[in-house]
Amino acid sequence: MRIHSFKTRKLALFAILVALCLAIQLTPRPPNVEFTSFFTFTVGVVFGVFYGGFFGCFVMFVNGFLSPYGFAGLVMPFQMVGMAMAGVLGGVYRRLIPERIYSARFCTETAIVGAIIALIYDLVTNVGVGLWFVAGGTDFALAMLIAIAYGVFFSIVHILSNTAVFGILTLPSIKALNDLVGGGKIG
Amino acid sequence: MVEKRTLVFLTLAMIIWAVSISGLAGYFYLQNETHTQQIGENQQSLNRTASNYDKSMSKYNTLLSEYYVLYRSYSSVDANFTLLMGPFGKLMDDLGGNYSLLLMDHEDLNRTYYTLEEGYQMVYQQDNITSGNFTKLLNDYFELFNSLEIRELSIVLSETVTLAVSVGINYGNQTVEWHNETVVPAGFSLFQLTQEIATVDPRYDPLAKPGHIFIEAINDKEEYIAHHLGYSEGCSWLWYYWDDNKQDWIQGPVGCDAWMLKDGGVYKWSFEYWRWPP
Repeated sequence: MRIHSFKTRKLALFAILVALCLAIQLTPRPPNVEFTSFFTFTVGVVFGVFYGGFFGCFVMFVNGFLSPYGFAGLVMPFQMVGMAMAGVLGGVYRRLIPERIYSARFCTETAIVGAIIALIYDLVTNVGVGLWFVAGGTDFALAMLIAIAYGVFFSIVHILSNTAVFGILTLPSIKALNDLVGGGKIG
Repeated sequence: MVEKRTLVFLTLAMIIWAVSISGLAGYFYLQNETHTQQIGENQQSLNRTASNYDKSMSKYNTLLSEYYVLYRSYSSVDANFTLLMGPFGKLMDDLGGNYSLLLMDHEDLNRTYYTLEEGYQMVYQQDNITSGNFTKLLNDYFELFNSLEIRELSIVLSETVTLAVSVGINYGNQTVEWHNETVVPAGFSLFQLTQEIATVDPRYDPLAKPGHIFIEAINDKEEYIAHHLGYSEGCSWLWYYWDDNKQDWIQGPVGCDAWMLKDGGVYKWSFEYWRWPP
């Protein structure tokens, strides 16, 4: 009985996080300033690699249809993969956290992880955009160069905003969620 | 001694920095390439324009010289107008030959050319050609010649210059249909623009000038005219342009086919009631 009740609680929290993340993701906001990768990473840290990956995948799937910027189209699978990687990285990072870590250091590390997640996500989605150009007849290397180069300003905004969001919000969020699901101590 | 974990995160930060900077470099490289290519294309376009301008001017000067020879004979005291009809016919043929493509593509100018040709044939068949008849032919010729040259130069210019204009169609029933920032080649007349944005029914009037075209219907909205004893009335399509200085609509002073568009110009067709005499 105790095990079932724990699973239900975890599932409810997971569902609430999905709903919250989707609500924020679908709210109009400046381009590439987002909280989804933060939520996905956090879910990965708290719930593990599989749930983190699934969370990112699912949110981007729904976002692909309901985004205020319109239907994502062929880029959607790349967005799903990119965001799933954020969740997977959360799960992996959880395993690599030392037993004792200072808050300042943890925040610095998560800020860097946030930046790398933004970078990976943008590279993956830009590859998707590049393949779209390739389908239109552009040379593969040129298509990739165009997609990555013309997305670089959005990428920089994404990296900077993710650095700030991850650096500030990850530690308190993980601690609060971890307490709710009764997970082990972090840091 | 720096611990391994710190080194890993420092490396990650370096990778982020390196990839971002590389992306920026790629962006500026592509921008540079694009601009270089555009400059090259613009230069080619300018060269083509210069070359076409030279050709057009050379043609203009040749025809103008021919006209000048005929005009000198015409203005001499003992001019025999019957004898001058032959050279005039040759002048007409040369005009038609030199501007054949332009005449094929521009219905309004083509109509004017054939009206002049018909006028020439009619005068030619007369036994006694008067000064008045010949003067009219020469004047009409010179006017058409200049119109053709202006149109040709506009086309030459349109290879490098485009215009963005706005035009509204007021159907007279509170419905105004605007076509904003419509891009057209330089040298477009209001008539050509109207043909681009709507279905028009033009009427050619050989006596009206400058410009011979009247618009009888736009998008199936047709003008109607009723003649009564002592007066006429009706609803017709009138055109206006927006005067920036006066901040007001000014009614078109010439036919729509003679009015050349300007960049940023705002024009309006209006279906309006009129009565003559007022």
